Amino acid sequence: MKILVPVKRVAALEDDFQIFADGRDVDPECLNYDLNEWDSFALEQAVLIKEAASTDVQVVAVTVGPEPCDEILRACLAKGADRALRVWDDSMLGSDPIAIARVLAAVAGRQAPQLVLTGAQSSDHGHATTGIALSAALDWPHVAVVAGLKYAAGDARATATRELEAGLLQDVELVLPAVLTIQLGINKPRYASLRAIKQAAAKPIEVLALSDLGLAASVVGEAGSASRVRRMVIPEKGRAQMIEGTVQQKAQRLAQIIREYKAA
Amino acid sequence: MNDTSLGSGPLPPEQITRILFEGFSPTAVALFYAIAVAAIAAFAWGCFVELRKYRRGQPDPGPGVELGRRLAQMVATVLSHRTVARRDAAAGRAHRLIFYGFVLLFIGTSIITLQVDVLEPLFGYRFWYGDFYLVFSLVLDLAGVALIAGLAYMMVRRAWIRPAKLDYARPDRNPGDPDYDRRFYRREDWAFLWTLIAIAVTGYVLEAARLVWLQDQPGVWSTRSWAPAGALIAQGLRDGGLSSAGAGTLRGLLWWFHGILALVFIALVPRTKVKHLFTAMGSLMARDPLAAQCLPKLQPEASRVGYARISDLTWKHLLNLDACTKCGKCHEACPARAAGAPLSPRDLILSLREHSNRSLERNLIPGDADLDIHGGKPGQVSAETLWACRTCMACVEICPVAVEHVPIIVQMRRKLVESGEMDPLLQKTLQTIHKFGNSFGESKRKRGAWTKGLPFAVKDARKEPVDYLWFVGDYASFDPRNQQVSQAFARLLQAAGVDFGILYDAEGNAGNDVRRVGEEGLYEHLVQANVAAFGAASFKRIVTTDPHSLNTIRNEYPQFGARFEVVHYTSLVLDLLRQGRLQLERRLAHRATYHDPCHLGRFNKEFDAPRELLRATGCELVEMPRSRDNSFCCGAGGGRIWMPDPVGKEKPAQIRMREAARIEGLEVFVVTCPKDLTMFEDAVKTTGNEGRIKVRELLELIEPCMAGALEQPMAA
Repeated sequence: MKILVPVKRVAALEDDFQIFADGRDVDPECLNYDLNEWDSFALEQAVLIKEAASTDVQVVAVTVGPEPCDEILRACLAKGADRALRVWDDSMLGSDPIAIARVLAAVAGRQAPQLVLTGAQSSDHGHATTGIALSAALDWPHVAVVAGLKYAAGDARATATRELEAGLLQDVELVLPAVLTIQLGINKPRYASLRAIKQAAAKPIEVLALSDLGLAASVVGEAGSASRVRRMVIPEKGRAQMIEGTVQQKAQRLAQIIREYKAA
Repeated sequence: MNDTSLGSGPLPPEQITRILFEGFSPTAVALFYAIAVAAIAAFAWGCFVELRKYRRGQPDPGPGVELGRRLAQMVATVLSHRTVARRDAAAGRAHRLIFYGFVLLFIGTSIITLQVDVLEPLFGYRFWYGDFYLVFSLVLDLAGVALIAGLAYMMVRRAWIRPAKLDYARPDRNPGDPDYDRRFYRREDWAFLWTLIAIAVTGYVLEAARLVWLQDQPGVWSTRSWAPAGALIAQGLRDGGLSSAGAGTLRGLLWWFHGILALVFIALVPRTKVKHLFTAMGSLMARDPLAAQCLPKLQPEASRVGYARISDLTWKHLLNLDACTKCGKCHEACPARAAGAPLSPRDLILSLREHSNRSLERNLIPGDADLDIHGGKPGQVSAETLWACRTCMACVEICPVAVEHVPIIVQMRRKLVESGEMDPLLQKTLQTIHKFGNSFGESKRKRGAWTKGLPFAVKDARKEPVDYLWFVGDYASFDPRNQQVSQAFARLLQAAGVDFGILYDAEGNAGNDVRRVGEEGLYEHLVQANVAAFGAASFKRIVTTDPHSLNTIRNEYPQFGARFEVVHYTSLVLDLLRQGRLQLERRLAHRATYHDPCHLGRFNKEFDAPRELLRATGCELVEMPRSRDNSFCCGAGGGRIWMPDPVGKEKPAQIRMREAARIEGLEVFVVTCPKDLTMFEDAVKTTGNEGRIKVRELLELIEPCMAGALEQPMAA
């Protein structure tokens, strides 16, 4: 059986960053890239299922993005994925989570996994949409924000523990194939040593184009998206202030502020 | 020979000797030879088993070269007992007595065998008589006294002096665990001492009994003073009323007792601690003077990494395990052990020794599960123990028999890293270093930002040639407190007219500590990036304020084909001072102590330049009890600075600060390492010495003394 793990290369801002003149994106010079943290938990969960299985399980990592995204796929291979797929076509630029989900659904349709495990959200855009949209596109059951999973390879059903508000948990039993979006903390993602990453560099990354998936350019990119980024802004500075001085001065100033608020 | 010869008087010299097996029946002689042959066979078999064990380890390319030089150094070390006597002069003296006594007695016995079993039966040649015999008797008699005296001291030491380092109770096990206090070793120690002393003492009584027994034969009683100790006992026996016939009986009994005990001792050599005679010599010959400074490179085609199984150790490291004499010098020196961490370098070595004896001495090597050296079972080492190490090299440096604890620990850590068994914070830091090239998670572009606080621009060595390429390092680049020191050094270089530059964002973490963590892949990655940056710059030498970077660039980068001359700033500044390019006009009057950073002192043997500079500032240097090669690690090394220390336990830096605080009237605690500055500024607060003692980087004392420096009181 197969487990499909859609992963994303996320960007983190450096302290000083520039927004492009058109206001629609950040200058990539000021970004640091990494594997989305939620996705690393999803991948680890897939690898744990594989390691505990008595039957043959294949973990397939997939991402939608240009060539530099190979780096995170290599990290996935180093951490235990068996295969890595990357889908890209320049027409995909500007895709929103719905369009990305459409592409992933086409991949899932061809790979026919029993289970799709992906991060509950991404650390850069934080839509928390892709996984759910994928389950809708496939018309498979889904559970979101999964904090625990009872499933052994070959089972027809899985029991997922969802994290609800206020610390409440909910156990959901669902029929496979299904899509689960994984929450942080469900496991302990393993460390991929640089040596393992280098060895993974020797493994092939399968690159797929739109035509390989039978998709038209009109269903991806801005054309196929339900939303588009209009502009990015840096919010105005809040009212936080740093109190400087000796411990005594700091305490006095703090007491003064509290008194001012009480009076107001 | 004539009448003027030594003590033989009118007797023909041939009669002045000892007749072997005197009064024995041929059956008794045959029986003795049978026992002797059996003992030697047991010895030979034991040696074979041991050698087979070492051969089951991996190849080590190092020790094969320069055999002559290695042999000479080993012989010099063994004969001088220099390493045995370090930091324990009394034990060194006693061991010297035992060693020389034992060696002389062994040579003596060999001489007898040479004559009786080889030269006389084969060639009819005899030499063991007359004057030679008398001198021989005297030397061996004195050798026996030395042996007994040394053994007696060692007994007193174990029974009454009881140095803490000889307590084998382990910090990495709990009372009640089967291998907690290593009782077996204590029993073996005592059995060893008693056996040797019994052999020596019975030897004397035997000699005395023979003297009394044969007192009427010419040449026996009259030459007794050539065996003074034996003669003294003989006199006592005779005065006590022992007759010649009674002495004959006593001699017969003692002869067999002494002989069989000695042969059993020989038979057991390869199986007991006695083998350190050979293993210590082998280990010393295989000694790598840069064992901790330059860690082993990975073979690119290796399918597995580091030490996971006992058979992954090199033959040299397997030999190291057997060379250990449990002397406890490393146990005493280890900062992790002193801070209550579950690590004693000695116990780690002994655990692995027990493992290798159990698994690799068998006729067939057991399966992989029985070769696993990681875990908590007897013979295994736990991850907590391995992660407790600071790789400060205190153990390797003091080991009298050249055991390489640090490379063994790092090899074992490599396996832990590969399987991800490490502290989450460490894991995060390694990922950060991979991503950003520094442990601070700061943008590469900010690496040179500290230079903005200077009134002049620091050259970019990538753009223009410089004399000195300054490798700044992570802490000196990003840590705000250490940035002040970096700025001070830049001002000093500028004032002295030194042509220098830095690599700005092309510089990355040098990798010294990443390698000591055991993340060899990341280390290689960092080395390649830095070497590429060096290659793109034009410079004559490298200078750094960071001893960790110094160590890896000087001692380890050559493994990757990058050979550069790299100096610590203290050497450069001392040169500038001597050349007159730097003038110190003011003098300070602080009472100061100097802490040798591990990587500068023990690792690179640079003890004097910092001290000379400190004196040049006018400060009064008062040494701590542990200084120079015995300096006590701040606890940051080996990647420990990226791991949390256990809560509620005293940290090595605090132990060190308390040691300094015992110096009467100490004002300044001087360091020459960025990590030391961080560790000790923390320790001075947490030990309640803030306000009393100030932690200063040496540069911060030099700068105020420089010509043109502003007169300013030392800020708190």
